[in-house]
Amino acid sequence: MRRIRSTIILIVILGLILTTFTSGLAAAKDSINVAVGSPPQTMNPHGSDSDANLGIMANIFEGLLYRDIEGHLVPGLATSYERLDDLTWRFTLRQGVKFHNGNDFTWEDVKYTFNRLKEPYPVSEFLAFGGSIESVEMVDGDPWTIDVKTRISVPYFADNLHQVFIMDKESTESRSIGDIGQNPIGTGPYKFAEWVKGSYLKLTANEDYWGEVPPIKNAEITPITEPSTRLAAIVSGQVDILQDVPVELFDTVAGHEDVEVVTIPARRAIYLGLGNKKGSPTSDIRVRKAMYMAIDEEEIIEKVMFGHAFPAAQIPDEPTVGYDSSIRRFPYDPERAKVLLAEAGYADGFKITLTGPNDRYVRDAQICEAVAKQLSKVGIEVELDTKPKAVFFPEVDEHILDFYLIGWFDGTYDFGRSFTKLIHSVEEGYGGLNGSDYSDATLDKLLEESEEIIDPAERAAKLQLLNRIAMEEKIAAITLHYQEDAYAVYKGRGVEFTPRADTWILFREISINE
Amino acid sequence: MLTLAGRYATKAQQEAVRVNMGLDKPFYVQYIVFLKNAVKGDFGLSYVSQTPVLELILERLPASIELAMSAMCIALLFGIGLGVLVSLNPRNFISRVIMTGSLFGISLPTFLIGILLIMIFAVYLGVLPTFGRGEVIKITEGWRTGFFTIGGLSHLILPAFTLGMYQLAVLLRLTRGGMLEVLREDYIRTAWAKGLPSKMVIFKHALRNALIPVITMAGLQFGELIAFSIVTESIFQWPGTGNLLLTAVYETDHPVIVAYVMVTSIIILFVNLFVDILYGYINPKIRYE
Repeated sequence: MRRIRSTIILIVILGLILTTFTSGLAAAKDSINVAVGSPPQTMNPHGSDSDANLGIMANIFEGLLYRDIEGHLVPGLATSYERLDDLTWRFTLRQGVKFHNGNDFTWEDVKYTFNRLKEPYPVSEFLAFGGSIESVEMVDGDPWTIDVKTRISVPYFADNLHQVFIMDKESTESRSIGDIGQNPIGTGPYKFAEWVKGSYLKLTANEDYWGEVPPIKNAEITPITEPSTRLAAIVSGQVDILQDVPVELFDTVAGHEDVEVVTIPARRAIYLGLGNKKGSPTSDIRVRKAMYMAIDEEEIIEKVMFGHAFPAAQIPDEPTVGYDSSIRRFPYDPERAKVLLAEAGYADGFKITLTGPNDRYVRDAQICEAVAKQLSKVGIEVELDTKPKAVFFPEVDEHILDFYLIGWFDGTYDFGRSFTKLIHSVEEGYGGLNGSDYSDATLDKLLEESEEIIDPAERAAKLQLLNRIAMEEKIAAITLHYQEDAYAVYKGRGVEFTPRADTWILFREISINE
Repeated sequence: MLTLAGRYATKAQQEAVRVNMGLDKPFYVQYIVFLKNAVKGDFGLSYVSQTPVLELILERLPASIELAMSAMCIALLFGIGLGVLVSLNPRNFISRVIMTGSLFGISLPTFLIGILLIMIFAVYLGVLPTFGRGEVIKITEGWRTGFFTIGGLSHLILPAFTLGMYQLAVLLRLTRGGMLEVLREDYIRTAWAKGLPSKMVIFKHALRNALIPVITMAGLQFGELIAFSIVTESIFQWPGTGNLLLTAVYETDHPVIVAYVMVTSIIILFVNLFVDILYGYINPKIRYE
């Protein structure tokens, strides 16, 4: 009897001793561990345009251009570029760059990469961009100067190049698509080391990098999907940086003495798309305005977002071409909204269905609920239809919704590109994310005019005009807010981290001062 | 279609992908093609990672089996150990505490146990890691184990306890019930009367007979531990198959989901078959003649 009991006690004690020894494993000085919310899916640089993947691959790969931490375009694999005419872009390529497998970077790789963008499933998600490229040619026999010709005028061509990563022609052609997605070979400051899916993805510094070799030698990216586990991981110091602190747990994390929370206004704007089919109530501008004015965005930010969002009067964010600081939100005024509804002949309100994802944006379903409640106060009966993103986005793609919540930020920093995807009438190559089949001839015409302008400043002015008319006059969408990105940094190790607006985590921009 | 062709594909490009994937054929043709490939172990490519689905699952399986085995060991060791302890002095204070505790084990949901354990051992006490598998040793390509490193073992403790808690409680109560019954039997009284040492009576005569239902139960649930550790795996970010399934569901990666269901049903089938065979060996009375 006594022996059984003592054996059990012994086992428990042994277990405890074992664990106390292990927990003290301190990380090396030049290593860092970052926890992300969504697991990386592929390391095929063109296989996904999601920032969860691009943000990690940007450590391994480089584009012709690079965006610094402020979002400015700076040279990458191209040392300079210029737009010769509306269809031609000239690039000077960087010499002496090597891929991680030892191959030299040449203009052939650029040509190969740009052609690869056109290949559909499963190679590329940059089909539209790839499709706009007509040819890539050497200039006067100089392999370090190339001209890229586009089929149509693509004013934001260069603005997309920081996320179009250049691949090695030889090793990409000789490997299967699965292998390419598992073992990436790039030119970037970090080499791919190991990826155990669901566990971690390890990178090591590229000592042969053409630029400055980064101080952090070993970087580990750990996906932790469960919010409470992520919280425990940062509070216990198991990870150094945590991406996506959930807003509902923000105060808990911020209040912890070992953790510092760093926030940055996110580029993503959340807005409500609204159809304007002939005969529907929402085809009347007065009704659109009434709905806008009936939504109390301040309350949404305070109650739903726990204060972690900023009101948005337009879809683009400040650094985006076409952003117009003079655009203001319509004030919250339910009384005026009722008057407008009565003028439009809907004094008794009407019924509308609000569709939205429930697993895509911060508190998306809760925002929909709040909007429905607020609209009901002016007599508009809103039926809620929130669903997983896997179901929601195909519906957007079919343009069958009346009223929907969606978020957007433009990776190319160009409102012209945003407009063609979000608001432009649905036709070949246009309006892909225009979920309600919204259509306005005036706005479409303004965009087409802007596409013919080569001078960037003049074009920006045109896009601002387009933006202003779309938001203030046509109310093409009801903008709600910009999200806020929150990162938690473990204080113990002196990690210096400044978040990027594009949510990419670039280890070359992180340092440790101990 | 959107997942496959990419969000920005035009209608024509989407159609091209459809034809390329054979999705334009009638569903029965697609199904026959699927069956033909599945028999050969080819469940297709994951939509997301573009690698063979079976590889993805087999890569994760060792982690899940390791976790399930550890959970089972903990459940057997503590379940039977404590069960015997309790049955010997059913009325003493410690026994009552253990029995009440076992009720918590049965009724508390796994995710709550997991989060509570993380809070106590990882956040407040800071002795155990909160997530992941820690240091692993590569045995062969695709098979890594955390059994042989201290880091690996310390990462295993919390998830294994969480996963095994329910089994532990069930086995404890089963052992106690069985033991209490057996201890009243005449042959035990005879054994005591013969003056056999208590170790002999308890373990050789009593426990052996009380164990039969326990072993059956444990065996039947082992397969389920491998297959349905989804909650535990997601709480502890354990890189096993449950975690893979959850991610696949979020990403609507159908080939992974289908293959996962197939593989786990095969595992459960074989574990149950194995237990049935084992049953006959432990208790010769129920051998099929």
